Amino acid sequence: MTLALFAQYVMNGAMLGMMYALVAVGFTLFFGVLDVIQFSHGDVLAAGAFLALGTWVALTKLGVVSPVLLLAAVVVVSALGTALLGAVFARTLVLPLKGAPQLNVLLVTLMMGTVLREAIRLFYPGGSQPQLFPALLPTTAYGVGGFHLRLDNAILLMAGALLIAATHFFITRTRIGLAIRAVAQDEETARTMGIDFRRIVLVTFGIGSALAAVAGVMDGLYYNEIFFGMGLLLGVIGFAAAIIGGLGNLYGAILGGFLFAALQTIGAVALPFASAYKDVFAFAVVIAIMAARPTGLIGERASERV
Amino acid sequence: MELRVEGISTAYDRADVLEDVTLDVAAGRITCLLGSNGSGKTTLIRSILGLTKPRRGRILFGGTDLTRLPTHRIVASGIAAIPEGRKVFPRLTVTENLRLGAYLETDAHIVTDRMERVFAIFPALAQRRSQIAGTMSGGEQAMVSIGRGLMSAPKLLLVDEPSLGLSPLFVKENFAVLRKVNESGVTVFLVEQNVHQTLAIAHEGYVLSKGRVVAHGTAQELLENDEVRKAYFGEGAA
Repeated sequence: MTLALFAQYVMNGAMLGMMYALVAVGFTLFFGVLDVIQFSHGDVLAAGAFLALGTWVALTKLGVVSPVLLLAAVVVVSALGTALLGAVFARTLVLPLKGAPQLNVLLVTLMMGTVLREAIRLFYPGGSQPQLFPALLPTTAYGVGGFHLRLDNAILLMAGALLIAATHFFITRTRIGLAIRAVAQDEETARTMGIDFRRIVLVTFGIGSALAAVAGVMDGLYYNEIFFGMGLLLGVIGFAAAIIGGLGNLYGAILGGFLFAALQTIGAVALPFASAYKDVFAFAVVIAIMAARPTGLIGERASERV
Repeated sequence: MELRVEGISTAYDRADVLEDVTLDVAAGRITCLLGSNGSGKTTLIRSILGLTKPRRGRILFGGTDLTRLPTHRIVASGIAAIPEGRKVFPRLTVTENLRLGAYLETDAHIVTDRMERVFAIFPALAQRRSQIAGTMSGGEQAMVSIGRGLMSAPKLLLVDEPSLGLSPLFVKENFAVLRKVNESGVTVFLVEQNVHQTLAIAHEGYVLSKGRVVAHGTAQELLENDEVRKAYFGEGAA
């Protein structure tokens, strides 16, 4: 393999890892504050991507042409709208089920995911077909040796890294982030500190869902195409990444996301005759990891949860 | 401010229920609640904090009815708790634990001031600001827990079994701290099994047995009370 090809694989792997990490952080945050697995998280991501596309369509119809303005509006509307969706979801379906058997919560989130997915398919114009996602970033390519670095990819990678850093800063350095960590460690004692538990749950679901929306927009910008069922695989991968990293652990989720992307990339390189099997390869390795380390690579006990 | 518990009945788990409990925690004093395991002491603290809602009765603090308020609103009215078993946030640092004690205070200067005051009371904590609380000894965690309870500058401090699992020396030091806190104007409601040390610092107290108040009086009266002996060395010990 040439160095240029190698760089291409690393670039692609890093991009995927960034998206997976953003999804996995949501799973890990929700589990931290409420001990639930939000199985519709992937479909929330798809909703975010379609909200972004819808915003773009609406704005271009209104005659907005400035690419910067379009990009900013698309990202902000998608992130805020999806944050609201996540918070409403938490308020109406997850919080009322607090204290109910875990399986009931699992069922409700699974069904909610189906409802979201089908709603996109049925109600988004042409939603049953893959939709072209506009290239909102400059696609200028720079040749370095045989390697083509596209400006949009570089921007996406940097934006993703900044967002993950910002999330980390928010969780570890702000007052609300401290409250989220306190609730994750001991809900009752956190409440006796004066923390409004329900509010923290809503904020957490809002943030996690907004991160998923950004991952959805990144996916659209990277592949120039979105699809109503896009959240299924991304959701399962994000969940797997969060589990590998030790569910509830923020660093673990980020690490798990990049690890999964690395596995897929290795699968694609090692199985060049059938790179379609890269997911099978990656999931097989995840299953092997689970068999060897049932609590994830970073065991919850040994590490800081959220 | 005065805390008044009026005829509350609460079921927490089968072993720890309250039956029509009425008591007053006088402003500016140390009031204690004595009782053996399973007498309902912890359930009473949980009821006051709104963690377990009473089925009957009311809880008034300075005239405000707290009974139906959510926990964070009860805490916001000026009540802080030093919970049983200390309950420090194990994966947070000392500083973060203390910061959470003053969660409702958003002025960074006030928070820093209060933290310095806690460090003045417990100099050992000052040297361990960045240590993860879960890695500390029981005695050190007790300091974090007490310090955290003081961080909100409460009007009323609820203290649940501070002596549990601590060496006699630590118990003595912590009780001395509670007395000082009370002398600075904070009302203290102290729930304990440790009769003698508790009555040595309390002004007055109640005795709880099987979920009911069986005795009430000044510390001196309780020391001489037959019910106290019965509750501790009779049925309570069985």
